Amino acid sequence: MLILTRRPGESIYLGDDIKLTVLSVQGKQIKVGLDVPDDMPVYREEVYLRVQEQNKLALQLTDQDLLAATQLWHKK
Amino acid sequence: MAQEIERTVKTRLGSLAVDMNRVIRFPRGIIGFEDCKEFTLLQLKEDSPFLILQSMTRPDLGLMVADPYTFLPDYNVKIGSAEQKILKLDNIRQIAILVTVTIPPGRPEETSLNLMGPIIVNSRSRVGLQVPQVDTKYPNRFLVSDRENEAAEALNEIQDAGSGKLAGSEVGAAAK
Repeated sequence: MLILTRRPGESIYLGDDIKLTVLSVQGKQIKVGLDVPDDMPVYREEVYLRVQEQNKLALQLTDQDLLAATQLWHKK
Repeated sequence: MAQEIERTVKTRLGSLAVDMNRVIRFPRGIIGFEDCKEFTLLQLKEDSPFLILQSMTRPDLGLMVADPYTFLPDYNVKIGSAEQKILKLDNIRQIAILVTVTIPPGRPEETSLNLMGPIIVNSRSRVGLQVPQVDTKYPNRFLVSDRENEAAEALNEIQDAGSGKLAGSEVGAAAK
């Protein structure tokens, strides 16, 4: 991992079109500003990982459970 | 030039002919499977809120998804401007929303909806994108049985009835 030291107000460019700015540091919280292309989604890691996990769980069902769930729950 | 109308695809429900008009393009794949860009929706049963989001290229990649509004009429999704751009959204009525579904092995009565990573489909341009939600007032998981309590009863009936039939491919829920 590349490690850089920055002060509040200072920025880092990732390539030409992503700019990351450290806005402020307060205790354990660091406020970061991101300038990214307007079609680039940005995710918090914990949310991203949880969605990834849930996607994998949605795959791991047996045909039997799938059928049972289909019959168990109906549209109202 | 002749256009491809139908393609036979190996799915987790077996080989199916998929109407090319029912293919949804996911320019960013789905989270964890970023290299899969084309999916279709397979309907399991006519009156079921559940569908399979099936990769056109990977037979084993079929995720169980559901129309969340069957269970949670007031479910709300935030779509940021980057996401709107990817989805080519210019009218909010163009979208269909699906959520992934988890069934714990052998316990279909504990089926839950994953509300954190809804899959948004622009039903007009047939572009799809998974849009993780932050600061949501909804729980991360929503137990389907919280809505209904007849689960145990129905389960017994199913075990008696044996296996049902799976219907062919169908693109799901119309725009909300």
